[in-house]
Parts: sequence; C-alpha cells; structure tokens
Amino acid sequence: MAGDHLSNDEFFAQLANLFEHNRKKGHSSVYLVQKRLSFDSSAAPPTPTKVADDPLWDTHPENPLPILIRASNNKSDKRPGTDREDIVKIKLSTVVQPDDLDAFYLRYAEACRAGMSGLKKRDKKKGKKDKKKKKKGVGEIKG
Amino acid sequence: MPYFKTSTEWYKQSALLLKARPTTTRITSKYTVLKPSPSKISKRRKYLEKRASKPASTTRSSSPPPAPQKPEDPTATFKLKTYDPESGTCLQYETAKAAEVGRLIGSLGRLGRHMAALPELAEDLGAGDAQAAGVSTPRVEEDVKMSGVPAQVEQKAGAGGGGKKKKKGKK
Repeated sequence: MAGDHLSNDEFFAQLANLFEHNRKKGHSSVYLVQKRLSFDSSAAPPTPTKVADDPLWDTHPENPLPILIRASNNKSDKRPGTDREDIVKIKLSTVVQPDDLDAFYLRYAEACRAGMSGLKKRDKKKGKKDKKKKKKGVGEIKG
Repeated sequence: MPYFKTSTEWYKQSALLLKARPTTTRITSKYTVLKPSPSKISKRRKYLEKRASKPASTTRSSSPPPAPQKPEDPTATFKLKTYDPESGTCLQYETAKAAEVGRLIGSLGRLGRHMAALPELAEDLGAGDAQAAGVSTPRVEEDVKMSGVPAQVEQKAGAGGGGKKKKKGKK
C-alpha cells in the first residue's frame, strides 16, 4: 500500500502529472476515489465508535469527518504484439479536512477539467461563430 | 448495477445511499482513454460510409453537422460509480462530454459534504444544480447518446431549462 498521505497541494501537483502521463500515452485510465476517513491512525480510538444498540451509529457522528481522496493510474504489463509497455502503478492519496472541503473541490474540478482533455468538446461553438461571421459579412456588404 | 441516464438522477440516488451508509460508501471516478480495437475501427468506418451515402438531413441546415469522428480516434469516457460494499449497491453514470466534468465534480463535492457529515447546503438537492456547482458550464441535462450528439439537441435542451423532462430534446 502507498504509505503516507500527501498534502493537498502536493496531491494536486501529482494529479496533474498523472493526467499528463495519461495524455502522453493516449491509452490509459485515471481512477479517482473518495470516501469517508473513518479510521484515524493518529488518535488512539477510531473516530466514530461503533455502538451495538444503534445500527445507524455512523449516520450521525458528533464531529464532521475528514475525507480520503485517492488517485491512481492503471498498471500495465508489456505484451508482445502490441505497443503496450510496462507501467508502474502510481498511487496518490490525500486527506481533506471538512473545513477545506469546498476549496479543495473547486481546485479539484479545475484539475480534472484540465486533465480530462480527451473528452468531447462542445461542437456547438463552432457553428455559432460561423453564423456570426456570416452575419457580419452580410452586414458589411450592405453597409 | 444501474446506469443512470442523467447525472442529476445519479446524484440524487447517490446522496440517498450516502445518507444511509456514509461510512462504507465510496465514489470512484474513472477517466479512461481507449484506443479503439481493429474491429471497432472497421465498425466505425462502415458507419461513416453508411452515413455518407445517405442524403444529409434538411432539418439541420441552420447549423453545420458535428465534425465526424475519425475511425482511429481514441474514445474517452468519464464514469462515476457510487459503491457500498456492505449492501452491494452500485450506482453508475457515464459521460463522454467535457462540458459535464465541471458539474460532475461539483456534485462530487456536494456528496463529499455528506461523507464528511457536514450539513447540506441550502440550495442542495434541487433544480439549482448547475449554480450550486459553482461552475460556468451550461447544463446539458440529458445524454441522448454517448457518441455524436447533434448540436441542436443540446441547444434545445439548454433552452428548455433544467428539470426532469427526459424526452424533450430527443428526436
């Protein structure tokens, strides 16, 4: 397992690298996982203590809990006959404190939008521009 | 293991699942770029030929048709998966549109609030989805098809305003 969690800033830097890898290769995936961090390694007792007589113990913790964010690529092995090469699995993880959540996700959204460049762009814009150009052209001729 | 047609539906169901099982549920997002296999390439070629032989539809004369996809182009998709190992629930949504990413990450953020056991935002869980995401992406409510969505369908969907209508923009 990957050892320590990165700080949020470091995580974003590494995430950008991960997406860059993906872009260069042109054939791979990036996995992003988020979940509640229910196991606290630093404090002695786990944060929400399981109460036997309350089956919904985890739905109302006393304090907001941090969130664990993981990112990884897919490992791949060299395969004869294809252009596949050995790729080591890269794993990143970071813990987001509840207070930083909104700020983190704003950055996260930006990083993902920048990274996921392979998705389909809107082709609507092109048409609009063309139309405007046409209209302008007509106007100029008239005027 | 349902795939949802719209991201709002996915978001709503995921929020409910997270409310029920906040500790065990996790959300996996997978961005993947795949080179098409040889058979896929030939399929695409055939499709393009078939479309080229047909006369262009007259209904869409106002806007130029979307640029045809080259058969060798890689396919990129973004898939969201909410999974709870305890109950085995798995909710999925998949898109290929770059315009949706910002909004989807926004909803990931709001689901993150559920995970962190923070109080929900006021405008949560409603039609004000796009604004709440805090991103300037225009809303594309429905996913008519994964590939080659005509520009006009999107336009119509945008003008119709958000909501639950599913068949409006469809042809």
